[in-house]
Amino acid sequence: MILLLKNKVISQNLICLIILVFFFQGKIFSQQINGLNLGASPESYSAASDGELYPILSSAEAEREGGLKDNLLSTGNRLKFADYLFQQEDYLRALNEYREFLRYEDNDSVRYRLAESFFRIGRFNEAADNFKGLFFGSDLSDEAILGFYKSSFFKGNYKEFRELTATPIYMPDKYVTEINRLYFISHFMDNTLPYDTAKLFTAFPDSNRQEVKNFYRSRKFSEYKSPVTAALLSVAIPGLGKVYAGEVGDGITSFITTGLLVFLSVNNFDHDHNFRGWLFAGMAALSYGGTIYGSAASAQIYNAGIKFNLDNEIKLYFEKRNYFLPKLEF
Amino acid sequence: MRTIAVILLLFPYLIFSQTDWVKWEAKQISYEQKREIIPSSSANGLGTKLASGLQKVYKFFISDLDGDNCPFYPSCSTFFVESVNETGLIKGSLMFADRFIRDLNFFKGSNDYPKHVSGKYYDPAYNYTLISQKIKYFTGDSVVKE
Repeated sequence: MILLLKNKVISQNLICLIILVFFFQGKIFSQQINGLNLGASPESYSAASDGELYPILSSAEAEREGGLKDNLLSTGNRLKFADYLFQQEDYLRALNEYREFLRYEDNDSVRYRLAESFFRIGRFNEAADNFKGLFFGSDLSDEAILGFYKSSFFKGNYKEFRELTATPIYMPDKYVTEINRLYFISHFMDNTLPYDTAKLFTAFPDSNRQEVKNFYRSRKFSEYKSPVTAALLSVAIPGLGKVYAGEVGDGITSFITTGLLVFLSVNNFDHDHNFRGWLFAGMAALSYGGTIYGSAASAQIYNAGIKFNLDNEIKLYFEKRNYFLPKLEF
Repeated sequence: MRTIAVILLLFPYLIFSQTDWVKWEAKQISYEQKREIIPSSSANGLGTKLASGLQKVYKFFISDLDGDNCPFYPSCSTFFVESVNETGLIKGSLMFADRFIRDLNFFKGSNDYPKHVSGKYYDPAYNYTLISQKIKYFTGDSVVKE
């Protein structure tokens, strides 16, 4: 017991000692920090230690601070900051900085980056407009035209995009292949593939041609189920159309339900229960009609599923390859 | 023989019984029962009015007592009203009959229905109107918040 008490006293003393050490260390550390604060002079430090929150800057220091402030908002610094934001993929803030920069200085490269920022945050209309501004009298004219077509493509209105590509005056010599390829990709995207495949396949690089051919085959000759066939199959045998549309469980359930209701109807008529006979006959008719209708609907949903999956697969394929667009350094 | 029968009975009991060796945890459960949005009948929709009336009768006499048992969202009765509202009484009745049969299917888990946030199978009426433009396809592993 004495030992325990002794230990307790020792431990309490130790804790007090540790607290005291930390307290004094903290005081010394804060003094050091205050001394180093913004490289303040001893006079200003003494003023600060007298209770003032901030040290008073001497006239030379104030001048230096003011100069730094001016420099921070200079066009050069703003451009550096904008480029930094662009590299950090913070395009929304980057484009604001680019805009501010363009208020004071005109620079094609910055205007291109502004348009590119709009493109990368999905504001394709504004991106296209900004790319348009670089069409004439700029070193980046070809790149801007490619950017314009790219923005039009990503708007998602592929028909409009194809109409645009039909306007040859815009077409830059440098990127004809890329724009031509986008034209064919747009056909893949909205499932309006042409039958003439000679030009279509040659637009893609050799290494990807086979995959593009496979997509073409899948698009053109998808294994869709005919809703009419599904309905007719269910007319012949209730539920068979559902099996054809891939819903085997529903098909079997339809067959059993319709069969059971017909049996109940016939059985009740046989036993002179006419009301029940008609009741079950009505239910059987509803079940039969519902099965035929449902078979056609199931075939349609099956087709929607095939289309959805293929659309996704194609989109992912081209997205992964950046739609075969060149990576531009600017 | 009796021993085998006892083992056969005990085996599923042991499988599905509460396990003590799994750490218990507090679950966030909401007992709030949200009402389904029933489509309002249009001015000319006599069929919708009839379907809504039938649904109200069904809800009052059966559903409110029996509980929320339909594995689908929207429930079969709401699906009936929605389908009649979208397509008319005859086509809507056929859609309902089809849905009812799908509800009877014991193996509907294999149908790859998307899930609704309520945990039910999501199966809206607009997918069965036979108008392909209206179909909204969701993959089986998606969760719909409509």
